[in-house]
Amino acid sequence: MLTHNLDNIQYFVISNQSIMARLIFLKLAGLLLVSFFLGSCTDHQSNSSFALSYPDYFPDPIYQSTRNPITKEGFELGRALFHDPILSTDSTISCESCHAQGHAFADHNVALSEGIAGRRGVRNSPAIFNAAWQPHFMWDGGINHIEVMPVAPITNDVEMGETMNNVVKKLNRNQAYKRRFKQVFNVDVIDDQKLLFALAQYMSMLVSATSKYDQVRQNKAIFTDIEQQGYEVFVQKCSSCHKEPLFTDYTFRNTGLPAKPDETGRHHVTLEAEDMHKFRMPSLRNVALTYPYMHDGRFKTLREVLNHYSDNMQDYSNLDPLFKLDNGKLGIPLSENEKTALESFLRTLSDYSFTSNPIFSE
Amino acid sequence: MKSLNIFLLIVLISSLVITSCKKDEVASLQKGSVSIEFDHVWGSNEGEFSLNKELTHPMLGEKMTFSLFQYYVSNVRLKKADGTWWTMPESYFIVDAATDEGKVITIPDVPGGEYTDVELMYGVDSLRSTSGAQTGALSPSNGMFWSWNSGYIMVKAEGTAPTSSDGTFVFHLGGFKGDNKVQTIKTYAFGSKLVVDGTREAEVHMIANPARLWHGAQKLSEKSKQTMPGALAKSMSTNFYDVIRFDHIHN
Repeated sequence: MLTHNLDNIQYFVISNQSIMARLIFLKLAGLLLVSFFLGSCTDHQSNSSFALSYPDYFPDPIYQSTRNPITKEGFELGRALFHDPILSTDSTISCESCHAQGHAFADHNVALSEGIAGRRGVRNSPAIFNAAWQPHFMWDGGINHIEVMPVAPITNDVEMGETMNNVVKKLNRNQAYKRRFKQVFNVDVIDDQKLLFALAQYMSMLVSATSKYDQVRQNKAIFTDIEQQGYEVFVQKCSSCHKEPLFTDYTFRNTGLPAKPDETGRHHVTLEAEDMHKFRMPSLRNVALTYPYMHDGRFKTLREVLNHYSDNMQDYSNLDPLFKLDNGKLGIPLSENEKTALESFLRTLSDYSFTSNPIFSE
Repeated sequence: MKSLNIFLLIVLISSLVITSCKKDEVASLQKGSVSIEFDHVWGSNEGEFSLNKELTHPMLGEKMTFSLFQYYVSNVRLKKADGTWWTMPESYFIVDAATDEGKVITIPDVPGGEYTDVELMYGVDSLRSTSGAQTGALSPSNGMFWSWNSGYIMVKAEGTAPTSSDGTFVFHLGGFKGDNKVQTIKTYAFGSKLVVDGTREAEVHMIANPARLWHGAQKLSEKSKQTMPGALAKSMSTNFYDVIRFDHIHN
């Protein structure tokens, strides 16, 4: 209970939002003092609790870890690690190299990212935001938890090319990191779990919920006519998979993209025939900032994506049934006017407060 | 009335005495550690197994030399003579055929007493496979975790084989869910009592036979790599688990 109150205090202090918050702060200051006395025997009391904040129309996040409670210092440590090329084998690539804040933590508008020694993978670097709500990670959903997500890029030969053992060794040679891990986790020796905990604290705090769409939803702004028209098309034709308010339903679907050799999508991790060429449904939040599109970055513009859905879909035995129309055609019928309106609406999902929030940058 | 009071007093006193005796008995048995050693043998005639030694698989008829052989054992429980079970907290181990120490898992702080059975899980439970970053034997840095397809490599066998297309074999077997769930719980009765009292080393000896991985499996010339969950991972690892047997105890 105390911890919960502390969360509130810290959240309000940091966001420094209102007089109401200050009143709550004063009211709870006593509790804070008491908790210092009570907690004086326990470890790392100097850490300030930090809470995920999100609009009331968001569901509860999946990642609410009691064994890795988010603190300001833990978040900042995760932020430092996220931006530090020490995680790669030759100290050239950081997480931020391919997940840049200005692009909603996707890559800098390249189809396939460059890892160590200029190596390239086969899939488009996904954006990172609202990860605390994500039940699985990567385009094929192979990773089941936000804490173990970074193991994949750190150890992948074409990304950071490191081993967890060596990263941990390097961190343990760095006195500044040793001090910070000691402060946050009260450990004398850094291990991979604490590294992953810190990264999870940072990544789970990357909440994008301050786009124009959110302003409209909170009655703080209104859509223009064309945005409103686009929203109506979206609700009718896109929202069953790109479900509000997170703009994804986290399912895997075959969306009729012509397949490239050796790319089998979710089948790669399940070996189930029904998963052939299925990919994780991405969120449409910040979509205008994260081009190029699809799992391999094959489409450069939103219009190319919409054209795929309206006219260019390839049939598969497991093509998502939503695309199989009564008239025998495939896809989503969209007029050119509807596409233009949709693009206007999709741009209201760009969250510039998020992409420019200094708290997320190192 | 008076005699009833005296009777009650006697009952009270005697019950105190009985309780205190019991208490003394419990206190006299110290906690101790139990070690479980996995000896490895090869084939149905239980020949010698070791890494870096050329072996011939009795069913495949192919030669193979292991460079690595590791597997998870977890969720250790011990059954007391009174029929209750003691469960070891945080009970995750990698058995490693590379060294003598690697073949022994040590269960510390076992309550003093007599034990009749041991229960082991071969592999890692699904809860830990889906609960984020772990430490110790479950740390991804042990090389027994699939980074791209979350889950533990429950059995890892690597080495060389002249009949394999590239001269090597690599079997990373695991899978914790659905039809391809690999982890398996086995219970073994000692047939006698394992005494834990803090004064002696209680040892349980098990015998495992890595040749069983290929019991009814394809030849290495046809299939020498498997590095993800699936039907083959399940059949290979459960064939191996099924014949791990209890051999004897030492008190």
